[in-house]
Amino acid sequence: MTENLSIKQASDLLKSKHISSKELIQTYLKKIKAGKELNCFNFISEETALLDATKSDERRASNSLKGDFDGIPIGVKDLFCTQGILTTASSKILSNFIPNYESTVTMNCKESGLISLGKLNCDEFAMGSTNKTSYFGPVKNPWRPKDSKIDLVPGGSSGGSAAAVAADLCIASLGTDTGGSIRQPASFTGTVGLKPSYGRVSRWGIVAFASSLDQAGPITKTVDDAAIMLDIISGHDKKDSTSSIKEKENYSKNINSNVKGMKIGFPKEFMSDDLPKSTLKAWEECKDLLKSNGAEIINISLPHTMSALPTYYIIAPAEASSNLARYDGVRYGLREKGNDLIDMYERTRSEGFGDEVKRRILIGTYVLSSGYYDAYYLKAQKVRSLIKDDFNKAFEKVDAILTPSTPSTAFEIANEPNDPVQNYFNDIFTVPVNLAGIPGISLPFANDEKNLPIGLQLITNSFEEQKLLNIAKNIEETVQYQAVPEKWWTQ
Amino acid sequence: MEFDKKNLLKLGKLARILIKDENLDSLSEDLNSILKFVDQLKEIKTDHVDPTSNSLEQILLSRKDIVEKINETEDILENAPEKEMEFYVVPKVIE
Repeated sequence: MTENLSIKQASDLLKSKHISSKELIQTYLKKIKAGKELNCFNFISEETALLDATKSDERRASNSLKGDFDGIPIGVKDLFCTQGILTTASSKILSNFIPNYESTVTMNCKESGLISLGKLNCDEFAMGSTNKTSYFGPVKNPWRPKDSKIDLVPGGSSGGSAAAVAADLCIASLGTDTGGSIRQPASFTGTVGLKPSYGRVSRWGIVAFASSLDQAGPITKTVDDAAIMLDIISGHDKKDSTSSIKEKENYSKNINSNVKGMKIGFPKEFMSDDLPKSTLKAWEECKDLLKSNGAEIINISLPHTMSALPTYYIIAPAEASSNLARYDGVRYGLREKGNDLIDMYERTRSEGFGDEVKRRILIGTYVLSSGYYDAYYLKAQKVRSLIKDDFNKAFEKVDAILTPSTPSTAFEIANEPNDPVQNYFNDIFTVPVNLAGIPGISLPFANDEKNLPIGLQLITNSFEEQKLLNIAKNIEETVQYQAVPEKWWTQ
Repeated sequence: MEFDKKNLLKLGKLARILIKDENLDSLSEDLNSILKFVDQLKEIKTDHVDPTSNSLEQILLSRKDIVEKINETEDILENAPEKEMEFYVVPKVIE
């Protein structure tokens, strides 16, 4: 009864009194313990979750529920500040940080009655696409290649969020996406990952990485659940001046999977000989599927696609170097002893940050430094305009764009490229979306020859999340693909 | 520019990150590789293109200046590595 529940199914079980919230939380706490080897959680909020569940059951008994989804357990990426609960960004430098405030997104979840089971592992400061940069060790992907015991990466940076949903250690989770950090791990784990438009969801109380790109979103088992989560977390927040004042829609209520007459763009720049055959096949099949459901397929061009990754690797580190200047060992987090103030700063940051974070801070400092600002940072911001313009032009012709989510399916944890740039290519299909500030969703479509899930990405214009979810729902309904890994960790 | 030992140490100073001698070689190799990768942007023509610093097309919002009781000194100091009375303690900065 409680295997691989969606939010909707869990809500029905609670409503029909087949299960109490407390029983549901206890079930999931057991699953989390059984799945310890996956290393999804940095911190399990056992006591508060059980207490919250009891309160939810009391509300149900007294007909004072906070909403349809009161009492449902979720997981929270360890990048959202949670009042009184350890928030580490999977970094040594924040390994003892307990915020005295709650992020807007997690507050919205609380106010809807959702219950946090704990904080989910991620790449350090959300920098990475393997979850291997976490100070608390890598997360293991619940998926393994057919007949093998090889451990794979779950993707990143929201690797814990994606793996926990795929392994059914929580019903849904919260992630963040700066260059693909929701969609890429969703693709690697057979889950649905939604990155909303920049400004749709408040960034207040989320540990900042690159402020002009960061956006929070859900990782779920179904498209309907993604719509439900977006209903809960989105909207204007006066604490975040970059959150949009545009009215949000009732995404889950208005979801409509009819794609008749819709125009779907197929960008030629995403086509490459390096793409695995199975990914190409899935992409083509999805195109045919939408066509037979009544959509029109239009070949489009996004000419600056290949410039997106280098643009991102200037803008994101530049913003990161500025955002991470706050970790100085004075006000919170780790402090290393030093001979004087500067020495203390330098030792604290050298000891507290991992290698990838240091690389990005140094590159970011360099591209912002006097003499190089125009050549790198300003140049990248100009190319960003060209990339955004490509999408604007495309959306004059099409309703949505269909691409693969990632250039490969999940790969081995042990496989470590010598060159950091090689890792960056994991995000080649997702990064342009962040630069343009538009929404994107990754949804599981099929398995490859190794029995690993392949994700496809849909993209729409800014604030067209409803359309995005509608098309995604159409694909999900038609393909009926069940992405459920074998639970090898429970044996 | 190539990152050599000298300018890498200078960059470390600017970023307030102590770079240990044993990490210099691998770090300069990594950073040179990243720089080479992003250098490909130089080939793109951007004359007469305005920069985009943020994709949100919205005027900056203002809100009423009302004092709220959040971020109280005592709560904030809970996370301080070293404190005394109502202050953060740092290594001596004045001779």
